[in-house]
Order: sequence, then structure tokens, then C-alpha cells
Amino acid sequence: MRGKPALLMIALAWLAAAPSMSAHHAFAAEFDANKPVNLRGTVTKMDWINPHAWIHIDVKNADGTVDKWMIEGGAPNALLRRGFTKESLVAGTEILVSGFQAKNGTKRANGYNITLPDGKVLFVGSSGTGAPYENAVPADKK
Amino acid sequence: MSRRTVAFVAVLALAVLASVRLLAQTPSFSPPKLPWGHPDIQGVWTSDEESGVPFERPAQFANKPILEGKELEDYLKRRELERARTANFGGGITGAGPVHWYEWWGRKSARTSLIVDPPDGKIPPMTAEAKAREAQMEKEWAAKVGDRGPADSWEDRELWDRCIMRNLAGVMFPGGYGNNAQIVQTPTHVAILNEMIHEVRVIPLDGRPHLSPAVRQWYGDSRARWDGNTLVVETTNFKDTTDPRMDISVRNRGSWPESFRLIEKFTRVSPDTVRYEITRDDPKTWTRPWTAMLELKKSPAEYLFEYACHEGNIGMENILSGARVEEKENPALLTRKAVRKSPNDDSAENPDR
Repeated sequence: MRGKPALLMIALAWLAAAPSMSAHHAFAAEFDANKPVNLRGTVTKMDWINPHAWIHIDVKNADGTVDKWMIEGGAPNALLRRGFTKESLVAGTEILVSGFQAKNGTKRANGYNITLPDGKVLFVGSSGTGAPYENAVPADKK
Repeated sequence: MSRRTVAFVAVLALAVLASVRLLAQTPSFSPPKLPWGHPDIQGVWTSDEESGVPFERPAQFANKPILEGKELEDYLKRRELERARTANFGGGITGAGPVHWYEWWGRKSARTSLIVDPPDGKIPPMTAEAKAREAQMEKEWAAKVGDRGPADSWEDRELWDRCIMRNLAGVMFPGGYGNNAQIVQTPTHVAILNEMIHEVRVIPLDGRPHLSPAVRQWYGDSRARWDGNTLVVETTNFKDTTDPRMDISVRNRGSWPESFRLIEKFTRVSPDTVRYEITRDDPKTWTRPWTAMLELKKSPAEYLFEYACHEGNIGMENILSGARVEEKENPALLTRKAVRKSPNDDSAENPDR
């Protein structure tokens, strides 16, 4: 047990010294951790806009009505460098999105998992992290 | 001091000197020249390769600017773990987006700090004057913030959220993604475009003087000259609220003296590498100037898609309208005394940040 506080101190020192790894926006200020969403929808268009791309999808409800959702994507430059083009996600494609809804209650979400119905992960074929954490669900959401 | 200790200190000193020389050695590479004779540093360059290297050297790596062997292996493993953790939690448990948004996986730099001078890899001590100024800044900040929440207006958000800038002193340093800069040269000017957040500097090479000290700007006022194969850019006239301390600094606060200046050096040291050194110099703030170094690599991108940040800044709309909804649900938020360290400090809501 005696070694643990020392390890913890090293870990803390490490964290304090680590460089900023922030994304452009304060996601926690934008999305609500208490509003997880799981959506199945059909892509209607993708906006290649900065600072982040947005994927528009139609989500059919059980009563036949349709909700229009917007899913926040990566920065267009980063997507391009990872081999993602405007042909990669065409209108009519069905996708599954796990994410968190915007705090303002509108039908906007960030998606940390975006997959095709057969389970194929979108954006795959990129420079490949190979990391086991890719698409990992945060531990406190399991 | 025992003889053994003396020998140990001597070996240590030699090791430090050798490492420092390794980082500082003059490159023998002769860069290609443009038709008018200037070295060619044109193209898109990225600092991705330096991702994960701490800005200041952690204590456990004292006297080790570069790691090798088992120590390097452990260092890289730990860095990967830390990055994976940050990707999911960088925005609190809502995540900072899926990991595939990021561009820094698998980078293997063995350096233990981006700061190369002082040789200990640490920011030098602040002057007494600067410490007093810091204390005053904190007081003024507390008075200014008062009862404000973290998102009462766009002005409560940081410069990055507002699509203004990443701060010149930090714009080349690697963040999660978008760490590219495009350099375009003419006989009389050098233009440097930073991908995020679209800042472009058109820098004259003709030796003209800086603007009047009365003119202070977000991005300061840059002048450049060639010193052999190195492009030296000196920038002064920063807006007083530009906080230039860290690698990525997006704060908009305080009152920085007009004596602050940045000296950047760009040297092409191989066909696919530009060495970038950035010195922060302000005798009113630090006891000595200090320098960080990044090796910029040829980016896989041949061009940069325009980062028209304002045009699509849906995030800002979501942040402000989200805060209004939260206040309706919890009116206590409207009356609380906000205690925030910076405009973006919403740690009360998101302890992960």
C-alpha cells in the first residue's frame, strides 16, 4: 500500500505537466452528460463547416413522425486528412449514433460512437489509432 | 562533498551538456533556395509529431531532455494512456468528441519538455514586479467576474470558443487537431497562416520599424529578417490582455506590459523538417528570456481548407442557449457568486474539466 500514494503523486505531477489537449470547444458547456441519446437515422446531408462539421439525420419515431437531428462531427481539415471526403457519408445512408444531447434541449448531439447498422465504424480507414480506446464508452457510462 | 558525489555531479553535468548540444546543434543541411535567394520554407507544416511532450519538464525527468531504452518505452506507454483518457474526458463526461477526431495518435517523440532554454526545461522565475501584477490581476478579475456565470454572454467565453485566436505565443503548439501552419514567401514578405483559428500574418522583411507603442493588437505586430538560413520573426505591440504564458493560452485577461516580445525562429533542417524556436522575452515579467522548440514536419495536407470559424460556430449558440435552459431549470444559478479562475472555468458544473 505504501507505494500507492507515491505512484499517485507521480501520476498527478504528470497530469499537471501534460500539455493542453483541449478540443476547440468546451463540449461540457455545450452538451448535457445527463442526456445520453441513442439514435438510428438516415443521413439527409453533411455540412462541411468550421469549426466542426455537422451531420443531419432524420430519425423516425414509432408513431411515424420524423425528428430532424444534427450530430456534431470533427473539423473538416482533420476529416480530410484522415481520408474522409464528401462521398464518404452520402444522403440516404443509415447510421447509429450514441452521444449526448445539447443542453439547450434542441435536437443536436455530439456523437462519440457513429456506426453503420452492420456495426462498421464510421471514419474507419483513417490513420488508424489502433488504440483499444477508440469508440470506447466512458467508464462511468457503462 | 565526497569524491564520489563530485564524480557523479560531473558526469551528470556532462550528460546535460551533451543533451543540450544535441538539441541546439547547428544543422548542416543546406535548404533549397527560392529564385530570389531566400531559403525555401514554404509549404504546410505540422507540430503533430511533438504531441504529448510536456511543455515543462516533469521533475522525474530532471537532467534528461531525451529518453531512451526502457525509460522511453514506459514514457510512451504512459503518454498513450493519458491521451486516450483525455480524448474521452476532455469535455467532461460528455466527451470531447470521438477519438477519431484527433490527429495525435502514436507520436513517438522522446523529448521530455518543449522548453529547451533554460536547460532544466522549466519556465524561469517571475520577477517581484510580475508577482505583484499577478496578484492585482487576480483581484481585478474577481471584481470583473462578480456574479457573472460562465456563459452569460459570448464575452464570458475564452478566445478559442469565440473563434478569435489561439494566441500567437501558443498557436504553433500541438492541440488535439488542426496543428498546421502554411508558409508562403515573396521577396518582400512572409505570410504565415495558422489553421486553427485561421490567423494569418503578413510579415514585412524590409526592416521597417514596429508600429507605435500606442497600437496594441491581438496578434501584435511582426517584423522578420533572414539570419543565414533562419527566418527570425520579432513580434511586439501585443494587446495588453493577451496572456502569453503557456503553450496554448486562450485567456483574455490581465494587463501585460508593452515590453513583452516574442522572437520566433524558423530553420529548415531537413527536406521535411522546419525547426521552430520561440522565445518569450519580458524583463518586467521573467528573470530571463526562455525558449521552447518544436520540430515541424511536412504535413500530409498540401493545402488548408479555410477554417472559417465564425461562420459555423454553432457551438457558441449551443453554449449560450444551454446556459439559459439550465438557469430556468435551476434559478439558483442566477444568484450564485461565481468563483471562476478564467472565463471558461465551468468546473463547478464539470469537475472533470
